[in-house]
Amino acid sequence: MENKTPLSPHIQIYKWHISSLVSISHRITGIINIIAITFICLFASLLVLGENSYEMAYLFLNSMFGKFLILGLTWSFLFQVLSEIRHLIMDLGYGFEIKTTRITGLMVIFGSVVLTIIFYLIGKSFI
Amino acid sequence: MVQINLPDNSKVKKGKYFKDKTGSKNLRKVNIYRWDPSVGENPRIDTYEVDMDNCPSKVLDILNKIKNEIDPTLAYRRSCAHGVCGSCAMNMGGKNGLACTTPHSEINGDIDIYPLPHLKVKKDLIGDLDGLYKQYQSIEPWLKSNSKSETKEIFQSKEDRAKLDGAYECIMCACCSTSCPSYWWNGDKYLGPAVLLQAYRWIIDSRDEERQSRLKKVADELKLYRCHTILNCTSACPKGLNPAKAIAEIKKMLATANI
Repeated sequence: MENKTPLSPHIQIYKWHISSLVSISHRITGIINIIAITFICLFASLLVLGENSYEMAYLFLNSMFGKFLILGLTWSFLFQVLSEIRHLIMDLGYGFEIKTTRITGLMVIFGSVVLTIIFYLIGKSFI
Repeated sequence: MVQINLPDNSKVKKGKYFKDKTGSKNLRKVNIYRWDPSVGENPRIDTYEVDMDNCPSKVLDILNKIKNEIDPTLAYRRSCAHGVCGSCAMNMGGKNGLACTTPHSEINGDIDIYPLPHLKVKKDLIGDLDGLYKQYQSIEPWLKSNSKSETKEIFQSKEDRAKLDGAYECIMCACCSTSCPSYWWNGDKYLGPAVLLQAYRWIIDSRDEERQSRLKKVADELKLYRCHTILNCTSACPKGLNPAKAIAEIKKMLATANI
């Protein structure tokens, strides 16, 4: 009888809010960033391997998918940075009121998007 | 361990539909999680049409109405009906709270009522809180004084007393702990917001003499540091307390104290 006892629904029914969304995105972008760093290392080693491999990387990163990837990773890094700053402030014991967490959470979400656009524009004017 | 899906015996099926018999025009659909231990079937969602013209303002009033007028087999905990005892903690409209203090007008659309998340269900809306109470016991929630011969009152200044504000009001309804994803995945080891708020309450009590050993006790990767400031706890607390901040304060104390 005992092992038949069901477990009540949890993540399936619980309502999301800004802080929980930022928290889960922080984890997901963290994993993405680790994979991204591996790819950046691969890219760097391609540069060392000579003209042909550089050409390959160049073509890939200038394709639509490559550009999408770069922008995505830029966002992912920026999100991580902003969210980490939010965590640092929280570790000091500030910003735990519901209203404040909502504001800082929104700042992280929108800030990361705005910074991504700024980075994109800066990068574009360099190239 | 993180397990997103429910085990097979916990998958929720569609249940009965109780059509309104009063002929009222002002109806609301209420979906309630049901599980009967004597039948041995999977849990189900029963839907009730409730006449809102003759129903007071809180979710608990809806449950009472259903139990009294529609379906007497419905089981749920309730006692004081004034947000003091913490018995009627449940998940309403996707958020934990006390049924007696949550107005049903705050929930849009159909009203979904589930037991507190990620608990062993005893019956219908009643979850098993034994684990949480054991953890509560483990932090030894009582005043500890080393002087055995002390018979006089232990004085506490107004300032020191004020430190307990926001911590002593907790009614242990478990809304916060059962809203916490970290507690869902590691509830056997992680103490959870409710118990950590109480741990904090005894750590900062100026009359308590076991501060150091209390701190040492919670300073554990799994007991304390599983808090990732998701803040479901603070947004769920029906008493407006802030367990997440209390946990952050404990972390801070541990970072600055020499233990």
